[in-house]
Amino acid sequence: MLKTTVVVIGGGATGVGILRDLSMRGVDAILVERDDLGYWTSSRFHGLLHSGGRYAVKDKEAAKECIQENTILRKIGRHCVEATESIFVRAPEDSEEFEQEWVKSCAECGISAVPISMDEAFKLEPNLSRKLLSAYRCPGAAVDGFRLLWQTVASANKYGGKAMTYKEVIGIETENGTVVGVKIRDRWTGAEEKISCDFVISASGSFAGEVAHLAGLSVNVKPSKGTLIAFNHRICNRVVHRLHKSSDADIFVPHGSITILGTSSIDSAPDDTSTETAEVMAMMEIGKITFENIYDYRILRVFAGTRPLYSADPNAKGRSASRGFVALDHAHDGINHFMSVCGGKFTTYRLMAEKVCDIVCEQLGVNAKCHTAEENLVDDPSPDLISRAKAVFPSYGAELASSRLGNEKLERVIKRIETQPEMKELVCECENVTLAEIEEVASEPTSHTVSDLRRRTRLGMGTCQGTFCAYRSVGAVNKENMPWAKDSVYLFKEFLETRWKGIRPVLWGNMLRDIELTRAIYDAALNLSGVEEIK
Amino acid sequence: MAINKQHAIDPDKCTACTICITACPVTAATRKFRGPKMTGPALTRLRKLVSDDDPMLDYCSNCKTCDLVCPSGVPISTLNMIAKNEYYKTHPRKSKADDMLAHSEKMGKLITALPLGSTFANLGMSVGKSFGVMGAMGIAQDAKMPSYASESFISKFKKIKQTPYPRKVVFFSGCYINYNQPEVGTDLVKVYQKNKIEVAIDENFVCCGSPMVSGGYIDDARVNASKNTALLKSWVDRGYDIVTACTSCGLMLKQEYQELFDFEGMAEYAAHMYDSIEYLAKLHDDGQFDTDFANDNTKYIYHAPCHLKVQAIGRPSMELLPMIPGIDIEEADVGCCGISGSYGFKADKHEIAMKVGSKLFNRIKNSHAKLGVCECGTCRLQMENGSGVKAIHPLTVLRQAYGL
Repeated sequence: MLKTTVVVIGGGATGVGILRDLSMRGVDAILVERDDLGYWTSSRFHGLLHSGGRYAVKDKEAAKECIQENTILRKIGRHCVEATESIFVRAPEDSEEFEQEWVKSCAECGISAVPISMDEAFKLEPNLSRKLLSAYRCPGAAVDGFRLLWQTVASANKYGGKAMTYKEVIGIETENGTVVGVKIRDRWTGAEEKISCDFVISASGSFAGEVAHLAGLSVNVKPSKGTLIAFNHRICNRVVHRLHKSSDADIFVPHGSITILGTSSIDSAPDDTSTETAEVMAMMEIGKITFENIYDYRILRVFAGTRPLYSADPNAKGRSASRGFVALDHAHDGINHFMSVCGGKFTTYRLMAEKVCDIVCEQLGVNAKCHTAEENLVDDPSPDLISRAKAVFPSYGAELASSRLGNEKLERVIKRIETQPEMKELVCECENVTLAEIEEVASEPTSHTVSDLRRRTRLGMGTCQGTFCAYRSVGAVNKENMPWAKDSVYLFKEFLETRWKGIRPVLWGNMLRDIELTRAIYDAALNLSGVEEIK
Repeated sequence: MAINKQHAIDPDKCTACTICITACPVTAATRKFRGPKMTGPALTRLRKLVSDDDPMLDYCSNCKTCDLVCPSGVPISTLNMIAKNEYYKTHPRKSKADDMLAHSEKMGKLITALPLGSTFANLGMSVGKSFGVMGAMGIAQDAKMPSYASESFISKFKKIKQTPYPRKVVFFSGCYINYNQPEVGTDLVKVYQKNKIEVAIDENFVCCGSPMVSGGYIDDARVNASKNTALLKSWVDRGYDIVTACTSCGLMLKQEYQELFDFEGMAEYAAHMYDSIEYLAKLHDDGQFDTDFANDNTKYIYHAPCHLKVQAIGRPSMELLPMIPGIDIEEADVGCCGISGSYGFKADKHEIAMKVGSKLFNRIKNSHAKLGVCECGTCRLQMENGSGVKAIHPLTVLRQAYGL
């Protein structure tokens, strides 16, 4: 039986932030996640590190927190953040009074908003609609959700914190009104085990109600689904916001090699990740106001996730519900040492963790202060390591791989290529992922599917959406005899189905031509639909 | 007005199908080049995100075979050329020869302006070679360089007395014909006069820019494109058609300008642009092509230049030349000759170019043809260099058959 002080339920941004914070304060902690890290809400978003500008008018407190955390994350999470800056643009449809109020509010919140001429704006972002009226430069940025989560866990690992994926919590055990442990089930083996602990923190986002239910409690989360559209290339190099009262489809984020437009806001079930074509069409029409040639850009896929909006008022809905977070101490409901954390924003994940851990530590009698803002998540690669990487990686590969992998993993990958030069061959040509990287990540105990490799490397997330890297990666993990890679048919289907899920609602134009090629390879040539999985 | 063409040249049309890699002659010849898909659309996405050393860029020869085979209409080679142009703004060039080869017009002007300039230049090149000067410049030691003519085409043209006809064309000779092989230009005038066409030239035309684009000097090419576009448009406005006898000039003026730049009038004049043989084939379609040929019992082998193929105008030479009585002509049909304008002259590319062309060289040798035929000047040079068989322009074959 495992034993720890705190069990954190949920491997999203909030959970990993809490795991790292506790570990750095010297509190024993284990995080359990039902799926892969960042499988749900923490990757199903824009990949936007807010400047706070979006909240400046409506919620100054949130805006101030955003700019403060933005500044911290640019430093401690520099390998996950691309400091693109952001531009707020006002369209003819948007109110001029709001612009004035916004400028005033940004100043009050300490958010730099530098007005620029439209000529300057078009020079910086040539694809912006020529109908736009005014523009401001703000310190927004792009952030990679998957990477931030894994690097936060890597940082927690250094202090003894552990994260376990594919472990579903099936029971919360109490004795005399106090939590004594949780019961978990391995999603792959079905094996059940108990972790005894002194404290449980549920950071399960939209699923907070379901987790609380395991202890016989209720938590009122209103999941609100947002759909995002991924375009095939960077149509802008800065985050572009509409300068108006926050609304649907008004933010574009250049995210790695792609651009993400979002989002919608629809009341939904916690696990709803579906998208209707009509939703996409509505978002495109709004997006057209910012980028007038939007229909020329190829949509790669769509994805959706739910915001875990908490409301004490059961009737509050969508964007009007609070975006702030709450830490519910269930002692008030009769169970001690059990807390649910709901709501919040990705940008402020560190601050939320700090506040939660302050409360938890007080209850546990721990005096250690929070140090999470002071230490980088992962070490910077040394100049020597960078030059070794440059020597072995294909062009454009060294920098991308070093921010993806972090120092230690990068060194192991470089060694693989140094000893076997053919390991530098690209498995994923669209996102520049080498065979060495695939084999390194595949050998980690947290990998169980090709989608797991995808979330850690960006394999299959580019133009061809898995058409060429699917058979290459399945071949690679088969050859390495990974214990999880016995059933090739399952590996293919699992990986390709997740790709196709995001493509089906936008199956037109170039993507339709692309997917016909995929179908020719996997359905016609390999007859994947005609063979059974082993399991 | 130069506006942003960014969205017109984006990588979105590529479905990553990989056909271009299977067709690319350079990829087949060297592992140093990872192919058009990677260098073009795939890395175009990443170049918007990170910068890095990119030695592969230099290996694309801009032969445009990838564009020809692409089922999705991606201007792959143009994406490569744009990337190369951007790349060399921040990276040092590997070879001093780049500048010279890209700006061949400058060299041509200089040499032909001097009395006996061509004699000394041609001599200088062979002497320079034997002393290793060319090697130091980055020019391949064993590459056969084009020699300069003692009198430019423009100078020769002015001495020709033409019969005026209502059908008029303006001939864009290009640098190679003007400075290196003016006889191709004079052959054009003779053949066109025979077909009742009056030929004009324009001394204000400048280099089409093709070698500049291939060398990564797109900004220089833009200046030339601006000048040429205005001139070509004005000739078309006056009722002239435009012809070229160099397929690279033709492709540049007709298609690549529109992929790279946005000057007023490009599409308008391009609708009136023809390859010199294509123009005659069009006359033939209208029943106006003069077939009053003498016998020619020579055995020829015809090589279609890549830059002709990508224009999608078929093989006009293989329509017209077989009409000559007694002629024995076959098409080589084995792909790129390898030279790609100035690519094969570069020291680090010469071996690749010869490897690419090896199929063609063997095909020519095995055909036992007496002469090669090809519209492109540097292809002809490469054919001769690789096979030992002299190659001539199809206009020359026609001129001889007309007994002119």
